Amino acid sequence: MSTKRRIIHTLVYIFLVVGALYTLFPLLMALMNSFKTNGELLTNVISLPSKFHFENYARTFEKMKYLHSLVNTVLLATISVSLMILFSALAGWKICRTKTRLSRVLFGLFVFSMLIPFSSIMIPLYKVTLALHMKDSIIGLSFVYAGLGVSMAIFLYHGFVKGIPIELEEAASIDGSSDMQTFFYIIMPLLKPITTTICITNVLWVWNDFLLPLIVLSNNKKYTLLLSTNTLFGQYSSDWTAILSALILAALPVIVFYALFQKQILKGIADGAVKG
Amino acid sequence: MNNKKHPNRTLLIFCAPALLVYFVFKLYPAISGIYYSLTDWNGINKTFQIVGLANFIEIFKDEYFWNSVAFTLKYVVVIVVLANVAALTLAVAIESLPKYKGLFRTIFYMPNMISMVIGGYMWMFIFTKVLYYMADNWNFKFLDKSWIGDPKYSFIAIIIVATWGAVGYLMIIYMAALQGVSTELKEAATLDGATTWQVFWKVTFPLIGHAVTICIFWALNSGFQVFDVIYALTGGGPGRATQSVAINIYEEAFKGNIRYGYATAKSTVLFLIVLVVTMLQLNITRRREEEL
Amino acid sequence: MKLKKLLAFTLSGIMMLSLAACGSSAQGEAVANDTGATAEAPQEAELNIMMSFPQYMEQWEGYCRQFEEKMLAEKNIKVTVNLEMPSSDQYETILQTRLTGEDAPDLFTLHSNNIGTYNKAGNLYDLSNEELAGKIYDNVKETVSVDGHLMAVPIESQAWGVLYNKDIFEQYGLTPPETLSDLKAICDTLNENDVTPFMLAFQEQWVPQLMTGLTLGDIVSGKLTDWLDRMYKDEGSYDEVREIFDVIDLIMQNGTDRAMEEGSEAGSADFANGKAAMYVQGTWAANTIMETNPDMKLGVFALPINDDKNCTLVNLSTSTTLAVYPDSKNLDLALEFANYVLDDEDSSALFQSCSFNPLASCHNYESASWVDEASKYVAAGKAYQDLVLPSSVTDEQGRLLQEYYVGSVTVDDIVKRLDKAFQDANALN
Repeated sequence: MSTKRRIIHTLVYIFLVVGALYTLFPLLMALMNSFKTNGELLTNVISLPSKFHFENYARTFEKMKYLHSLVNTVLLATISVSLMILFSALAGWKICRTKTRLSRVLFGLFVFSMLIPFSSIMIPLYKVTLALHMKDSIIGLSFVYAGLGVSMAIFLYHGFVKGIPIELEEAASIDGSSDMQTFFYIIMPLLKPITTTICITNVLWVWNDFLLPLIVLSNNKKYTLLLSTNTLFGQYSSDWTAILSALILAALPVIVFYALFQKQILKGIADGAVKG
Repeated sequence: MNNKKHPNRTLLIFCAPALLVYFVFKLYPAISGIYYSLTDWNGINKTFQIVGLANFIEIFKDEYFWNSVAFTLKYVVVIVVLANVAALTLAVAIESLPKYKGLFRTIFYMPNMISMVIGGYMWMFIFTKVLYYMADNWNFKFLDKSWIGDPKYSFIAIIIVATWGAVGYLMIIYMAALQGVSTELKEAATLDGATTWQVFWKVTFPLIGHAVTICIFWALNSGFQVFDVIYALTGGGPGRATQSVAINIYEEAFKGNIRYGYATAKSTVLFLIVLVVTMLQLNITRRREEEL
Repeated sequence: MKLKKLLAFTLSGIMMLSLAACGSSAQGEAVANDTGATAEAPQEAELNIMMSFPQYMEQWEGYCRQFEEKMLAEKNIKVTVNLEMPSSDQYETILQTRLTGEDAPDLFTLHSNNIGTYNKAGNLYDLSNEELAGKIYDNVKETVSVDGHLMAVPIESQAWGVLYNKDIFEQYGLTPPETLSDLKAICDTLNENDVTPFMLAFQEQWVPQLMTGLTLGDIVSGKLTDWLDRMYKDEGSYDEVREIFDVIDLIMQNGTDRAMEEGSEAGSADFANGKAAMYVQGTWAANTIMETNPDMKLGVFALPINDDKNCTLVNLSTSTTLAVYPDSKNLDLALEFANYVLDDEDSSALFQSCSFNPLASCHNYESASWVDEASKYVAAGKAYQDLVLPSSVTDEQGRLLQEYYVGSVTVDDIVKRLDKAFQDANALN
């Protein structure tokens, strides 16, 4: 029995290692070749670089205005997600706790729109941002993300609040706590697990979104990482070393973020999906 | 305590910020999108006319649109099955291990962190440079295929990249579900003489039914709207051979005759298709979950 | 623990942000007050420009800075030029989105074939009375005018056909073909010597489309002169020009492998490195080619489509042009810039650094050898103005040629589908 189990385990390991190599393959190939000269890359894409050419990175770093774009992206993701969380926690909690027809209507209104394809709202949405003078504004774009993201977040908060005993709130209310106080001092702390989930999924969404910033941000001083990477592709479309080093630089922040918070991220993703 | 007397008023106050951004940035654009679908607006002219349902009638005769629907259906079926089978297999494999669970989980989820625009380019490098290098220098002739150009193989390429991007997410959901299945149940079944295979199908699988529903729902919904992967790899080509509905809509709105009104009519149809299919799926799987 | 850190990090981030936001808005007001206060201080203005060729980003950014300095020195206007350069496959999407709103860029590039559509939508300012109008060569001016009105500043204009590697041609004693039989003979010689005749880079639809651009032009100028007019009246058919597939077949059968995996820029680089002897590509690719291989001897010949020498012509076309948006808030400044593009002093250096061809009297630099070679055809009258097809038909040609290369459509299918695309486009306009 135990040898049989050992064989099975070995087979499983082999299977998983092969799978893992396959998963990492594009990343590794990009990393390896990003250090080569273009000539070396064209002659042999599989070998390790004979010498590490960091100047590929120095060049793309400068061309992408890397730090600038990184700061923009961090700002955009932070503001968007903060707004989304604040707005949807307020709404999700109240909708769940209020048992009226209106609360059911509101819930339905928020939830049904989750299936609307982005392509059908793109141009009208762009016109709205113009009318509100939000073009080239990171803060403005954050409100757009909040608007697009609240449905899902409200849905998740609503589900989570259902599981919190109402007694706590009632006790606070008897003690003279106003609704707002109850929300910030009692409810928000209780919502922390689901808040983490919502925070993580939406940071990733905003961070990796491409089409919306592409149309809203036209000034390259406001570009996100993905947009400046994309510009660089146009500039160096025949030079793979430039492209690959840009890809690595663009992927680096998320990989670091992932390395630091992987437990929270993986748990958050699982919770979000199961609740949803 | 006016919140007791006027529950709706407090409700509206708490919902106001969310309602405001939601209305301005989602609902209003969606409704005006439907309005444009009734016009012949081309996206740049300053004037346009209302043409009623003409756009919707035209869709019925639009061969290219229905070809893209067929392609999308094919894509959805393959991706739903493949991604879910792969994710579930990985999840079961990892869960069966005594060690290194965390490591494998971390690696397999990694592609999900990276934008499809970035991942797509990395794969482009693999398909246009690395595989050919292997084919030419290592004599791996099976790799010497037109991965981007030949619709047969570019479909495979698209599936490879899409699965690469999606499997990690689904795997995490399956793993969470598997951890919720009690070991006692499985052990009891094993003591009763059930094989591992039987234990999985008779005990474990019914208990993770909820996760299966979620994963299929997610794969269906994102599959119908597939855009990034195809746009990055083949751009819908050669010709229109790998055009998904979303790509077809995009091209209609921004390329060639730039018919924005007609394109929004198509995306309304896409919305309806997604709505119907996901409703059907939810109904069917829910019923099955209840049966199990 | 980590979770706490994450939350703390997020929160401090938000606080920093709100502080930063307050700070920057306060600053903005201060600046605004400043300008109003003193009469001596330069006037401030902003100019938004959108362009579709990121490969020339550095050259144009430099030129914008020069413009800013010039305006400050001559007009006491402190201009900030915002130059937006999306990659070319997203360019049209973004331009259209911008034009639908109230915030169209003050100047933008567009392909000369789209001038008609954009002009009809009221998006182009009439430049006929500007200084620059007098400088542009007449044959180029024609390509950017509508009913005699100059609607855009030409930027890339060229006589083009097929690029070839002169070294390879010399090595095997070959000369540019005058007829289709000549071209076949060239292919045979090259094949015998294990040289691939044609570079094929079909990944992007516009590259295979160049073959229809050249061959249709040849046939329409050489023999079927009324074909295009009839197409616009729904009275013609691609069946009449079926002949173009003789040479298209020849090119496809004698080309490099893996064409669908090869992008246009990669194709230019490979061609420069001697992977093939000929490349159906305009002279705009010269920049990449010469960068990849500065020693390359590049030549241009007209693509023959049959054995009638009168049909072997080069294509005269203007691809990129720069237009001024008529409702621009800074119209005067935008016009200044448009004129500055063809400035007597600075324009030559810009055009030369991008390897653009001279197209106005202000250009006094020596043109490249391959440009001269193409110009000889023009001087001998062996040239035609690029045909203007509806852009949906042009796109469809590119798609169908990709499919034709892959083998999923036949010539009959192509004829049928192009006729339909043309009729659809006619019905809409």
